[in-house]
Amino acid sequence: MEYNNKTYKNYEDFKPQLESIGRYGYFFITAMVMIIAWGIYALYTQLSKGQVVTGMRDYVIWGIYDANFIFFIGISYAGALISGILHLLRVEWRHPILRMAETITVVSTMIGPSYIFLSMGRLERVWHILVYGRIQSPIVWDVFAISTYLIGSFIFLYLACVRDLAFMRDHPVGVARWRNRIYKFLSANYQDTPKQRELLNQLIDLISIVIIPLAILVHSVLAWIFGMTLRPGWHSTIFAPYFVLAAIYSGTGVLIIVMFVFRKIYHLESYITKNHFTYLGILLMILGALYGYFTFSEYLTNWYGSVKWDMEVLYRLFDTSTYWWWFFFSAFIGVLLPIILIAMPRLRNIYTIVFAAMIAVTALWVKRYLIIIPTLETPLLPLHDVRPEFAGYSPSWVEWSLTAMGIAIWLLLFFLFSKFLPIVPVVRVNTADERDYFKLRKLAKERILRRMIRKTRKEKNVVAGILVLLFMSAALAGHAQDPLRSRLKLEFLNKSGTRILTGKLTSKKDDQTVPLEGMEVSFFIQGANNKVLLGKASTDEAGKANFTLPDKLDIRRNKEGKYSYSAAYAGSKEYQSSESSAAIMDVFMKITFSQKDSSKLINLFAVEINQKGDSVPIDGSTVIFYVPRTFSLLKIGEQAVKSGHADLDFPVTLPGDSAGNLPVIARFEDNDNYGNAEVNATMAWGKKLPPLVIIKRGLGDTNAPLWMVYTLIVLLSLVWFHFTYAIITIFRINYLGKKALKEKQA
Amino acid sequence: MKKNSNSTRRNFLKLGLAAGATALIGGGGKVLSAVSNPDAVSKETGEKVKLLSPDGSLVEVDKGHCHACPATGKEARQGIPNKKMVMVIDLARCRNARKCLEGCQSMHHLPPKIEWIKFFLLRDSKDTSPYWFPKPCFQCNNPPCVKVCPVGATFKRTDGIVLIDNDRCIGCKFCMAACPYSSRVFNWGSPDQEPLPAGKKYSPETSWPQKVGTVGKCDFCPDMVRQGKLPSCVTSCPNGVYFYGDKNEDTVTNGTETVRFSELVQQRSAYRYMEELGTEPGVYYLPPVNRLFDYKVGFQDLKPEEIDLYKKEANLSE
Repeated sequence: MEYNNKTYKNYEDFKPQLESIGRYGYFFITAMVMIIAWGIYALYTQLSKGQVVTGMRDYVIWGIYDANFIFFIGISYAGALISGILHLLRVEWRHPILRMAETITVVSTMIGPSYIFLSMGRLERVWHILVYGRIQSPIVWDVFAISTYLIGSFIFLYLACVRDLAFMRDHPVGVARWRNRIYKFLSANYQDTPKQRELLNQLIDLISIVIIPLAILVHSVLAWIFGMTLRPGWHSTIFAPYFVLAAIYSGTGVLIIVMFVFRKIYHLESYITKNHFTYLGILLMILGALYGYFTFSEYLTNWYGSVKWDMEVLYRLFDTSTYWWWFFFSAFIGVLLPIILIAMPRLRNIYTIVFAAMIAVTALWVKRYLIIIPTLETPLLPLHDVRPEFAGYSPSWVEWSLTAMGIAIWLLLFFLFSKFLPIVPVVRVNTADERDYFKLRKLAKERILRRMIRKTRKEKNVVAGILVLLFMSAALAGHAQDPLRSRLKLEFLNKSGTRILTGKLTSKKDDQTVPLEGMEVSFFIQGANNKVLLGKASTDEAGKANFTLPDKLDIRRNKEGKYSYSAAYAGSKEYQSSESSAAIMDVFMKITFSQKDSSKLINLFAVEINQKGDSVPIDGSTVIFYVPRTFSLLKIGEQAVKSGHADLDFPVTLPGDSAGNLPVIARFEDNDNYGNAEVNATMAWGKKLPPLVIIKRGLGDTNAPLWMVYTLIVLLSLVWFHFTYAIITIFRINYLGKKALKEKQA
Repeated sequence: MKKNSNSTRRNFLKLGLAAGATALIGGGGKVLSAVSNPDAVSKETGEKVKLLSPDGSLVEVDKGHCHACPATGKEARQGIPNKKMVMVIDLARCRNARKCLEGCQSMHHLPPKIEWIKFFLLRDSKDTSPYWFPKPCFQCNNPPCVKVCPVGATFKRTDGIVLIDNDRCIGCKFCMAACPYSSRVFNWGSPDQEPLPAGKKYSPETSWPQKVGTVGKCDFCPDMVRQGKLPSCVTSCPNGVYFYGDKNEDTVTNGTETVRFSELVQQRSAYRYMEELGTEPGVYYLPPVNRLFDYKVGFQDLKPEEIDLYKKEANLSE
């Protein structure tokens, strides 16, 4: 492969920085590694103790991690949008800064998402997103978008590096052997044959086109994470374009700073000229003005509308005791100062432009902070019932350390990359390498879209082990004291002919009635001469002991036709003994239903059993009608029984089951003669419960709406088709190179 | 030799199976003993569950009698059939006694630092009188939290309840950002909670145990509903503020009073908090008219600085 003189001259300039790291370089690496080590300690602290070590709490649930996340994704725009657009517009001065811009994209897109992981409570469950992912969630959109974006920017950076990699492969002097192997592997046998050159140029154009909408989408999705919530300051329709604009603004700023730094440390004055700073500075100024316009528009609308919560966020931003100075810096200084410095030719020079860029980048970080924190501090319900430490937010040392760690990794990766490949592309091609932009149309015709088959992977659940601290709950029993009083209450229930005796055992402790559990209660009936033991039962957690009477009692009723029941608790060391009795008459009850014209009736027939065992219609007692429901009985009416009969309208408006079945209970309650006596019956006169309609697709349902699924598939297929095409073409370039080499040797 | 080793392996397998079966039966016996405990009050739900009896045969038991059946796995995501749980909170009766919170914490085995019910002193405008406003999770019918969950760890069930599966939750806190009512809390550190008894499985229906790095909230106590029992906040309120019930039965109860849900909300002009957000809450509020208590009664158990905070936020000058 042949290179022109200009290329060799370029290479001579970059040789020193590729071949040695230098004293300052080692110093820099050591410093960065120390910061990273400290960050790893902070990370360990957070992972072992949980997010309690951060400053985030129940109201401010997201903090500077998320500000960093948006910030890094934002500066990644430098490569994606700026270099993409400059390349497509064939701007001549773009060459020396393209690689820096693309490297910013790749490195930032690697660092940014790691802050989302730090912001997660259960980092070890991140694979759940792959297994249980819901397309309805903007976080899942983000996962798709950012991973695609990262791969896209890798491809973009790589394609722009191929020529230099080939050059480095061909000139291995003074560089370690392992590095030469990497150059050789990565250069994909690029020999600059006409066919190879055409394919490569075509690919760079193609990916430039794909990466621009992709980048816009990535930051829109990021904005939608906030925009989809119902929070003041977030729930805004302009949030996506606002985020996109802020991202390009900060990306341009970072690019200017990076240019300045490399120009200084690698002495690149002949490559990166004042013009580069001026052009990018003017771009920065325009973006700053647009950003200011968006900011003004957003806050003006909120202020003019003056909805309560929007105003509360605004008050926070304009209150000198809270965020005013931060807000002033990000929305006024961060917009106006760069514009003034760059717009005035007298003030405009490399240093002021770089200063303006630094102001813009810092202001944009503060802006991300101000997007997240004041809104979270303004919940829709007032901050009343909050522990003081939960109301506000100030980042903890862990969060600052991990922020520093991210910046350190960013700088280190950038530095190492600049030692691996010239930070400015060195290869200058003899012939015009600019391919006709419109040739792409021809290309598009040649392409045939193949169906992308999505493979879904199912992974087996990995059960994560969890430590739960033991919570001490055993309270030591007090010393033996005088036995407390106990109280036993005997209740009688005749449930459809089954007679149940219930003894409820309670005691008073600190003026509160508490049930006694696990105590034995004996039940008796008064015989002709003495008490007869019926049986025993122990009390449950509600202090109730139940005993079901046999159907026939060989005991004679008393003159009034009653049986005398009693219950007794023998007492223990802690509780005194107690007893209770009741005299109850047996009754017989029956419910029937009748319909006359339009009125539907419940008919109760009730008789009492006298001393001789004969049935006598009940007269005068009140019977209450209920409908049993999940937790309790719903009273539907009460009637006095007249000569054994009581009628009540059926509650036709009450819902029953799907067939309209509605059970009804008629009950004598705490009656002097009958105790509790009840009978039930069911009739299908209730309202029919409509069958449950299960909506399977929707935002809150298991499956996503179909349009969402289709949109996602179409978008991903489009992008991934081009990525796949790019990767295949790289292999083709490799094959063509091998072939060319063989022909040469032959 | 080969044969031998094979047969021992088979024997071993058999042994393991037998041991497994015994364990099953043992467990089943435990459940059944809970079932056979006669309880005259518990009602039949009509839904049957299959249990293994002590003698090894499968028996069907009505769910209403089952005392140890919080659903797990897929069933826990579906909801109790034919139910639609609702709550009505009577603001005229609340005096900020906070007994509901204590009941909630003891029922869910929560330490005092985890609060799933919050209390506000709301004042709609400067001319109106402030009133106490207890707030559980609203169990929205169009829940913003469920929409945004990336892994389906929080879900809406057919019985109207929104639950969290904290075995699945990744702790992204997006649901907390999405909830406009700040109903969700996060386990920032270890929850310091009484551990689950041995042999009991975690169920989203009991929300016990809470896990560090996951989200928790009021769960409307579906495990209690399965037992036909009221949630603890309802039963521990001294003033009967909370009415709970099944909308499909058109009935709510506060433990002592049982009323028609439709009549209560219509006659007392019930409203849902911030209906305009479109979240369709499952919790209704009865306006604080004809109150039982002056709002100042609610200050009696509070610390001075807490009172100051409430007064400040409610714009009370005196």
